[in-house]
Amino acid sequence: MVTLLNMVIGGLLLGGLYALIAMGLTLQYGVARVLNISHGEFIMLGGMTTWTLYTVFGINPLVCLAICGPIAFVLGFGIHRVLFRRLQASAPSQGAFESSSMLASFGLLFIIQNLASIAWGTEIRAYTYLAIPVHLAGAVFQANRLVALGCAVAIGVAFYIFVARTRMGKAIRAAAQDPATAGLMGVNINSVLALCFGLGAAMAGAAGVLISMIYPVHVVMGMPYTVIAMIVVALGGLGSIPGSFIGGFVLGLVGSIVAYMDPGLSLVAYYGIFILLLLVRPTGIMGR
Amino acid sequence: MLEISNIDTYYGKAQALWDVSLSVDEGEIVALVGSNGAGKTTLLKTLSGVLRPASGTVTFLGQRIDGLAPHSIVEMGISHIPEGRRLFTQMSVGENLEMGAYVHAAWKRREETLDQVHEIFPVLKERQGQLASTLSGGEQQMVAMGRGLMSRPRLCLFDEPSYGLAPMLVTEIFRVIQDLRNQGMTVLLVEQNVRQSLEIADRACVLENGRIALAGECEALLEEELVKKAYLGL
Ligand SMILES: Nc1ncnc2c1ncn2[C@@H]1O[C@H](COP(=O)(O)OP(=O)(O)OP(=O)(O)O)[C@@H](O)[C@H]1O
Ligand SMILES: [Mg+2]
Repeated sequence: MVTLLNMVIGGLLLGGLYALIAMGLTLQYGVARVLNISHGEFIMLGGMTTWTLYTVFGINPLVCLAICGPIAFVLGFGIHRVLFRRLQASAPSQGAFESSSMLASFGLLFIIQNLASIAWGTEIRAYTYLAIPVHLAGAVFQANRLVALGCAVAIGVAFYIFVARTRMGKAIRAAAQDPATAGLMGVNINSVLALCFGLGAAMAGAAGVLISMIYPVHVVMGMPYTVIAMIVVALGGLGSIPGSFIGGFVLGLVGSIVAYMDPGLSLVAYYGIFILLLLVRPTGIMGR
Repeated sequence: MLEISNIDTYYGKAQALWDVSLSVDEGEIVALVGSNGAGKTTLLKTLSGVLRPASGTVTFLGQRIDGLAPHSIVEMGISHIPEGRRLFTQMSVGENLEMGAYVHAAWKRREETLDQVHEIFPVLKERQGQLASTLSGGEQQMVAMGRGLMSRPRLCLFDEPSYGLAPMLVTEIFRVIQDLRNQGMTVLLVEQNVRQSLEIADRACVLENGRIALAGECEALLEEELVKKAYLGL
């Protein structure tokens, strides 16, 4: 019983991070139509920046959240303005844009990774923060994982309310469903797409901060997270924000259960689910 | 109010409008008719900024609007109610209407405008919380028109609002358009129901293969041989 509980709680802790990462990619791919291969690089930037801020300047990682999130937003917003918006304007069709933007994001991955290795080197970096054991229903977890889960859920819920309730949030949903008609309603479509790309980057950056509180970080850590985000987005249904939130937790639970049997098998299990899903329900859990 | 002069519009390399000129005065209903593929929708899209004319000008209330983005044109008071309704199907009826009031000036007065829209289409009040995709075709058209009115426009561009509706609903839609005009709205109406459109419109023009073939007062057009043969089945 205790091991099962252990696995479930472990899965939820992992799932919170996955949910956050996947929501970010949902915004970039589901709304802005950029399958952003460099998504994980923003996670890496968040993690490495936090390591520097904490170990060199002694800034609390939770404060780093409020620093890295906005910086990643500005970076993402700017990248959409100067790169993806132009690609979109010059693309002959939406399909052509989706493939050219994916290739461009590949290029972005290499640029960011190389700049990061100049800045930080290629060593694995780690720090300890809130590594206090917490007893939870017979199982033991480190406090930093609980804090990370709490932050991820808080960001997810806040974002959900933003999208469900506010004028700008509704514009995002409208743009996701039918950008041309949203434009006829008065939505400045280019701004909304850049906003979504920036918010996606901010979520990746924030996830990077939270990840660095728990795991070691290094400049090539991003790619596996990008892959996980893609799997979760496929799992939750393309463009569905609640879908990616729930999908993140589902994958986290699976990962935790599989890792309990053999830690080396979690990625294998993720891909297994991914392929099975594509065969059985290609539209995802919440997809149409 | 609206001055269209010598517009040419292309889809990529394919030209769809040739030298189209047309004007709409304040308080008028101008009907735009023509067979399938004549370029009616293309003209409305050029007016609302979805397409840019390669040459020619569009002036609204004395200001050039060709080349502006759609969102800027809505802000100036033109509402394009698109062909095929184009509702946000994953949103409720209420949210669809709210989206119509997205521009800042309209957002501030959205409750007041919503009451007016509910007065025109009472059924939308009952359907408020329902997903737009679960409505009947007629109700969906009412949402599309109501959403278009939520921006408090001065000029409405209706693209085949009666398409696919039962005769009774068609009459209802035409009555609504007439009422809107009586309250001061200006209307450019694209329609397949030529007879009914010419009955409520002040002026009309016939588009053929991307060119204006005929234009004038509705009474005069009803007597034209071309209109009688091609559109009224006489
Ligand atoms: N997106 C597009 N790309 C290329 N050509 C197009 C596109 N949309 C329309 N056309 C072409 O432009 C011409 C005018 O089309 P348009 O949709 O304006 O006609 P319409 O008068 O609105 O017809 P209908 O009564 O069927 O709605 C047609 O020849 C059509 O094939
Ligand atoms: Mg048409």
